[in-house]
Amino acid sequence: MAAVVALGATALLATAAGLVDLLGAGDDTAALLVVGGLIGLVAGLLHARARRNDRIRDADVLVGTVASLLGFLLAVAGLLLIAGTAPFTASGVLDAITDATAAGTTTALGVLQPPVDDHGGRLLLAGAQWLGGLGALVVGVAILPFFGAGREFADRSSRVGRRPMTPDQATAVRNLLVLHGTVSLGTWVAYALAGAAPFDALLLAMATASTGGMAVGAPLDSASLQWVAVAGMLVAGTSLVVLWRLAHGRSRNLWRSDELQIYVGLVLSGTLLFLLWTDGSGAEGLRRAAFTVTSSVTTTGFPSAPGGTWAPAAPVLLLGLASIGPMVGSAGGGLQILRHRILAQAAIREMLRQLHPRSLTMVRLGGRVADEDTLSKVVVTQFLFVSTLFATACLAAIGGLDLPAALSAAVHAISTAGPVRTLDGVVVDPSSWPGWVRLSLLPAMVVGRLSVYPAFVAIGTGVGIVRDRTRIRRRWRSCRRHRT
Amino acid sequence: MTAAPSASTLGRKRRRLARWQALRRQIPSIPLPEQGVAGRGIWVGTTPHVTGLGLLFVAGGMLAAGLVGLASDADGPALLLAGSLTAVVAIALWWPTRPGPLDHTAVFTAVGGTWVAASLMGALPYLLAGTFAIDGRTWPVVLADALFESVSGFSTTGATVFGAHNPIEAQGAGVLIYRQLTQWAGGMGIVVLVVMVLPSLRSSGLGLIDAEAPGMGVDRLAPRIKTTAARFWSLYLLLTAAVAVSLLLAGMSPFDAVAHAFTTASTGGFSTKDSSIGHWDSVAIEAVVVLAILLCGISFALHNSALRERRFGYFRNREFRTYLVLLGASATLVTGLLIQDGMGLARAIRSAVFNVVSLGTSSGFGNATDPGSPGDFAAWASGPQMLLLVLLVFGGCTGSTSGGVKVMRLRVGLGHAYRTLRSLRHPRALLPVRLGSGTIPDSMVERIAGFMVVYGLLVVGGTVVVAALGADLVSAFGGVISALSNMGPTLGEAGPTASFSDAYSAPARCVLAILMLVGRLEIFPMLLMLVAPYRRVRTATGHAIGSLAATKSRRGE
Repeated sequence: MAAVVALGATALLATAAGLVDLLGAGDDTAALLVVGGLIGLVAGLLHARARRNDRIRDADVLVGTVASLLGFLLAVAGLLLIAGTAPFTASGVLDAITDATAAGTTTALGVLQPPVDDHGGRLLLAGAQWLGGLGALVVGVAILPFFGAGREFADRSSRVGRRPMTPDQATAVRNLLVLHGTVSLGTWVAYALAGAAPFDALLLAMATASTGGMAVGAPLDSASLQWVAVAGMLVAGTSLVVLWRLAHGRSRNLWRSDELQIYVGLVLSGTLLFLLWTDGSGAEGLRRAAFTVTSSVTTTGFPSAPGGTWAPAAPVLLLGLASIGPMVGSAGGGLQILRHRILAQAAIREMLRQLHPRSLTMVRLGGRVADEDTLSKVVVTQFLFVSTLFATACLAAIGGLDLPAALSAAVHAISTAGPVRTLDGVVVDPSSWPGWVRLSLLPAMVVGRLSVYPAFVAIGTGVGIVRDRTRIRRRWRSCRRHRT
Repeated sequence: MTAAPSASTLGRKRRRLARWQALRRQIPSIPLPEQGVAGRGIWVGTTPHVTGLGLLFVAGGMLAAGLVGLASDADGPALLLAGSLTAVVAIALWWPTRPGPLDHTAVFTAVGGTWVAASLMGALPYLLAGTFAIDGRTWPVVLADALFESVSGFSTTGATVFGAHNPIEAQGAGVLIYRQLTQWAGGMGIVVLVVMVLPSLRSSGLGLIDAEAPGMGVDRLAPRIKTTAARFWSLYLLLTAAVAVSLLLAGMSPFDAVAHAFTTASTGGFSTKDSSIGHWDSVAIEAVVVLAILLCGISFALHNSALRERRFGYFRNREFRTYLVLLGASATLVTGLLIQDGMGLARAIRSAVFNVVSLGTSSGFGNATDPGSPGDFAAWASGPQMLLLVLLVFGGCTGSTSGGVKVMRLRVGLGHAYRTLRSLRHPRALLPVRLGSGTIPDSMVERIAGFMVVYGLLVVGGTVVVAALGADLVSAFGGVISALSNMGPTLGEAGPTASFSDAYSAPARCVLAILMLVGRLEIFPMLLMLVAPYRRVRTATGHAIGSLAATKSRRGE
């Protein structure tokens, strides 16, 4: 099933890119259409022959999700090579894998700069971002709340007059497709109205709605475009449940959501602090600050010029905001606000337990008592998030990045944000990094895009399967027994 | 054959027995100290009582350093005056009070209060001796520097505000030995010392030791708490003496050997020289220091069983094995990276082993002879520096004098993560978190998880605050981790040959000092010291409001 999903998405993307390439040079159309058709055929055959497993465990679903993403990333890398966006050399293959992963995981750390007339290549990257964002939404809204991460992340309440967004998985997927599509369409229209060419507006809308942040040759150089980007990023970082309730006219009690309050508070306070720490002033400074901070909070990662003198705290603020991330149930990355809130509450509870060891203290989320299992999983997610971050930073530093760049790159990779900046705010071009460093960031991007948890379940399952197949432990024991 | 007892002897024995039985009957009516009656004080107050007693020890240290100062330089009178003032404050707190019942709130306020008071009074010698009153420094900065040095000493952090502008070597012997003594006292813990001499605490003293000692609980080394505390301190003394003799034999002067023994046993890292251990540039001295801090990073309960029960159980302890593997693997990796960077094999091994063990046990000694020399890890490539930054978090074993998260907590954290991930594959399986042959109870796992969450939040929050106060990303991040792990020198601008006063602004140093205290007491006691009285007031106010409302409702108002 995982292969069908990955191949289906790739076929769709290849066909769309092939057709769009006709608007430009059109030299890759035939190749992309043929490959897209073939992949679609294989996907159809697999779908017809695949049999549904009778007993599906939570772990199987999460492993399938990871396999789909990995398959999709490899397929996109292949398409980039076929379309000629990356050359068929060793460094070209590395670039293609890097950009496919960056785009598919919506991390703004890509290295390829396709020419303006390479419409197929540009759409491949933008489309990979959009599909990656959609995948993240499916994971966050329709998979994790049902398989493993706790029902607190789902909107299933069907009290009088309510129509929940995610009563079951199928409805959840349908609703999120409608919402994500609407947001993308709205952003496209807004960019076009703000002065962008239709194709550029489409690419920008795909990068914004998915929080991908790779503009792929479409410039964000005017004030109106940047304000549209700010609004688009804010919407993309908002939970789909909030958007769903807004769409159904249930906006009265929306502001009571702690997560929404914190999200808005983060953007506003972050903008004010950023203005303070970068000598910003006036409408120009405010726009620059709002754009940069929203780009960080929502983990979109659109690049922006430094502007003004950056205090040492400014890049730290942006890194902190990127690691916090936007709301749960959005396309954004990072650990996300609700998880931080759960962590803070768990920390307070643990402190109070020291004072009253026999007391029963519950963690409440939105008025409901949170499940202990969910709390435990969020704590484990934080542990794995930090471990991955440190491991990635170590690898990047060993690969040759200086300490601030290594730390910054690791935070951005696991938060699926970007771009990496120097301490004075200048955006660093990842293509100047050694290949080993770029490769070392890829696992963190995948882990971050999958909300950490499923990736580690897949790794654990993979290790288990290999161990069971090879039976290392049993062989080792029998070897020892034989010796004694 | 013995003669039969006479009638008069039997009568005497009977009378004596009757008297004894009468005395025994009275015993239950003698109120226990936990009930807050025994003791000489008028007022019941555990926190001032314990704090006062702790400050008496601090005053003793100041007076001892004052005597050393009198014998060698002009700092003596200032130290003696500081000691006397501290003793007056200590007696004013201790004499009129007696310990009350030791509930959880009292434990945390007593331990936290003792450490805050010791840190505040500990700054007095520096202020009276004018150690930081150099040209161009305003009094708030001088005060901040004195407090920073005091907190860094007691918390065994080893970060210093001495530097090129105010060299350590220009200070008198009195101030130098006082500085070392603060770390020695902080290493085993002032409250452990208090429990050792306070007769009226009985079993409640274990709570105090538990709140102060690094790790996840105290191993009772003896049936009695007083004996346990005494054993901890006697082991500590023994280790200190052994290190002093070894350093003397390795070529240090007697003063330096004793001074460094204090800070080696406590895994503190203060030195009497500006370039720390690098001043001697001696392989023998470095080897002694490495071995000593490795030993002091191991649980004292293991040392106790090795010494008293003649049982060499180190390698049966899983935490110890992990600790050795972790340090060994890190040293090997750093050596390889240094060689790749162009350093010679012997120098690379020496620099890597010394710095990995020093930072991995949260000691913070340096072996750089001067800035940019092979031992100066701040001048290394970013790869080995990043590995050292990770090591800053780990720390030594539980029950040792080292800081950091501790190897045991990391193991349990990993075990918990593994169990949670595995439960998805086997939803009905009962998967305990194991450590060696034993199972860690879920309550302990939750406590460790909570500790790690708070640690993470403090690192993130502290980094943003310190950066907002002027430090760059690496200095802020490294400084906060270093302070919380009681490390000392860190990456960025506060390397092994740099001064914290050059790397951080005065407000940032104050934030780091608070984090050092929080880290030394392993986060919860310090935070709860602030939370507990507030909750008590809130509960009392809540009860008062509740009873008022009840009265009003009864009256029908």
